[in-house]
Amino acid sequence: MNGARVEFRGLRRRFGSTVALDGLDLTVEPGELLALLGPSGCGKTTALRCLAGFEQPDEGEILVDGADITRVPANRRDAGMVFQSYSLFPNLNARDNVGFGLRVRKVPAAKRHARAQELLELVGLPSVGDRYPHQLSGGQQQRVALARALALEPRVLLLDEPLSALDAKVRVTLREEIRRLQLSLGITTIFVTHDQEEALSMADRVAVLRAGRLEQVADPATLYDRPATPFVAEFVGAMNHLPGVLSGDRVTVLGQTLPVEGQPPASAEADVLVRPEAVLVTPDAEGGGIVMVSSFRGSTTRLRIRLGDGTEVLADVPGHDSARFAPGTAVRVGLVERPVLVSARTETGATPAVPEPDVV
Amino acid sequence: MPLLAFVVIVFGVPMLVLLGGTFTKEGTFSTANLTESLQGAYLTALIGSVKISALVAVLGGVLGTILAQAVVTSRFRALREAVLTASGVLANFGGVPLAFAWIATLGNSGVVTTTLGLGEHGWSLYNFWGLTLVYLYFSIPLQVLTVVPALDGLRPQWREAAQNNGASTWQFWRYVGVPVLTPALLGGVVLLFGGAFAAYATAQAMVGSTVPLVTLKIADALSGNVLIGHENVALALSLDMIVIAGLVMAVYLPLQRRSARWLR
Amino acid sequence: MASLTPQVTTQVSPGTAPRRGGRPRRPRVWRGVVLVLAAVYFLVPLIASFVFTVKVPDGGFSLDAYGQIFAAEGFGTSLLLSLGLGIATIVLVLLLTLPAAVAVRLGAPRLRPVLEVVCTLPLVVPPITFVAGISMVLRWGPDYLASTPFYQTIISLQNPDFPVVLVLAYVVLALPFVYRSLDAGLGAIDVRTLSEAARNLGASWPHVLLRVIIPNMRSAMASASFLTLALVLGEFTIARLLSFQTFPVWIYTISGSQAQVSVAVSVFSLLITWLLLLALSSAGARQRSGS
Repeated sequence: MNGARVEFRGLRRRFGSTVALDGLDLTVEPGELLALLGPSGCGKTTALRCLAGFEQPDEGEILVDGADITRVPANRRDAGMVFQSYSLFPNLNARDNVGFGLRVRKVPAAKRHARAQELLELVGLPSVGDRYPHQLSGGQQQRVALARALALEPRVLLLDEPLSALDAKVRVTLREEIRRLQLSLGITTIFVTHDQEEALSMADRVAVLRAGRLEQVADPATLYDRPATPFVAEFVGAMNHLPGVLSGDRVTVLGQTLPVEGQPPASAEADVLVRPEAVLVTPDAEGGGIVMVSSFRGSTTRLRIRLGDGTEVLADVPGHDSARFAPGTAVRVGLVERPVLVSARTETGATPAVPEPDVV
Repeated sequence: MPLLAFVVIVFGVPMLVLLGGTFTKEGTFSTANLTESLQGAYLTALIGSVKISALVAVLGGVLGTILAQAVVTSRFRALREAVLTASGVLANFGGVPLAFAWIATLGNSGVVTTTLGLGEHGWSLYNFWGLTLVYLYFSIPLQVLTVVPALDGLRPQWREAAQNNGASTWQFWRYVGVPVLTPALLGGVVLLFGGAFAAYATAQAMVGSTVPLVTLKIADALSGNVLIGHENVALALSLDMIVIAGLVMAVYLPLQRRSARWLR
Repeated sequence: MASLTPQVTTQVSPGTAPRRGGRPRRPRVWRGVVLVLAAVYFLVPLIASFVFTVKVPDGGFSLDAYGQIFAAEGFGTSLLLSLGLGIATIVLVLLLTLPAAVAVRLGAPRLRPVLEVVCTLPLVVPPITFVAGISMVLRWGPDYLASTPFYQTIISLQNPDFPVVLVLAYVVLALPFVYRSLDAGLGAIDVRTLSEAARNLGASWPHVLLRVIIPNMRSAMASASFLTLALVLGEFTIARLLSFQTFPVWIYTISGSQAQVSVAVSVFSLLITWLLLLALSSAGARQRSGS
């Protein structure tokens, strides 16, 4: 099977007073895995359901390989879907669940069973064919659901937060497996998630949605290193907002002067956005900073540091250094020398998506 | 446990006596009572009971399911709450008051009968069909109560997953919807059968003995309206009833278990 | 001032985007028809009963029938008898069932199927066959036990002023409903954790039962009690065949002579039952929203 190109053009959808999609434009390249990432209510699931045919957009169109499928009924679309949970038919065993689409197409039983077995083997469950959904674990159920979605050899695979109901450990294994399968089948895949780690680790490209609009679509590294907007910067990974003073294309922050990434805002006073791992910490009795909280995370330790002027900074240091930065340690804080993203001071306060419990 | 002891004495002893009495005639072991209970007027009553119960169960099952589906697919939450509460009340509305309410409505001098002049068209409430109409009054709500949770348990994902696999609406209902609902629907029908089968008060207050029903026969026999030496026929009839009700319940329990597993 | 944002930001929007209802709605005529027919079928008898009771032969309106209820002979005694039976039944059935249900959850889960079967049996056995058995026991008992103390017991069971035998029978009839309601209540509060926590804090078993479990079971016990009361107030079969004048039997008896009054009493007793059940369901709803 080969992947199709999927295009969303000016998609709009509102539910009563809620606007779920507000003019979404997005192209998914053949064979790629695109993650739709965003907070709940941002419209990512609605976009997926429009593509599957369970929702009709109020405006705009959806193209698959150049053909407009906006008005095609859901049962004639060439897209397999895996739902969040509990989507297996409870009255059918795993084999018949996988073979359901073939049964609908009147494929003879023998052929259907052979094909279902093949698919169950593909998802790593060769021996569960006779079991019913209630006899399967959550992870197994989702694997069977994946096999069912692939049974009709669709050219687009839709995954609607398929891992969100699973345990952390199963989640990681299954997402690696989905990725492996997707690469070997070369099927165009759209993966909806609110988990940034999931999106960054699996996808070829990540599209960040906010209030029904596309904020940025880029490969994971670019998204993380060069977020196009402050919203993306804060939604993906943790971010420090540090007060800085602009002069031309450079900004002075924490006593250092760094080049500005992208277009600087007009005002001189601005927030400088810095990732915790770009903050350098060294023990220094005269450094002016004090470690308030230290939380060990294995490979890294995240420190919350209070500076002399009351500013708080998050910093990541290697995990084995955690002993050197016990709470109460006096430290010096510096920033890695490289271009930084700057946003106007007012904008962060107006960003509704980000709770700001730590404003000092 | 005291509970078990209590049940054994209060429930077990009468049942044993019932069993013993059934097989005793003039002091010796005999199956004559049982044979007699399956003959003549008694057999007619037994068949009458089964017939009306089956009819009520099937009609109530179908009508109750339709009503439940109408309520479940409705957008108005208040309507749903109102129907469910009313069903809870009406399903418990049996016995003498129910009979009198219907007599006042459609009896010979009932309000609706006299207003519409139904009497002149040969209408009578006191027959098989009248009794069916009245039994449905508590059976339909009971079916609504049994089926609504099952209809609620039909997840929208199943319909969507079916569509996604290319199934039409009809194919969804045929391969998934109906099979998933069947245990709950049948379970409800079985309950209705049991309820109608055991009903006595309504029938006694309404039709007396014009419709042959096994409960009425047993009551008659117990009140001494039988020939000397035939008292134990009532016990044999009771045993017949228990066997039928037991068979019906034996169908119900596995169905209910399966439904609960599917629709959890 | 600077601000720091936590790693995973979640938006708390005033309700996530609704997912259903994408397609244009088909007109649902059938639903309206079904609902109207149902309303007619279920409401007409209620309205007609009321009209029947207030109708005067010359076409006027009168509430006399309701006034006559209280004057009718036997009204007070039979109603009091039924209420008394109801209360006795509730006390006895709760005393028997609650410890059993708790014990099955905590100590002896293996006995659970046994208890479930025991509590389902009364559903299988129609009341009329149950009463057939009882009446045989009562009839034969005196013959076999005449010389033993049990004779006195059998006689006192049938005291017409307060027939204990009815209480015993009603306990059996109520058992399935009470057990289910209590079992559901116990399931909702996680008795095991609660009682372990209480034991851990030094409470004795009776203390656990009285001070921890019962207070948390209040709504389940209330609903079990209401159901039992409704059952006893409406029970006709057993009382009639054992010849006791309970409330439903009394209604039936007067129907021969005073049709209008008997329908009035029916409407009246219906209202009582409904108020009980409505109180029950709204209490249940409050409990759900409260927890």
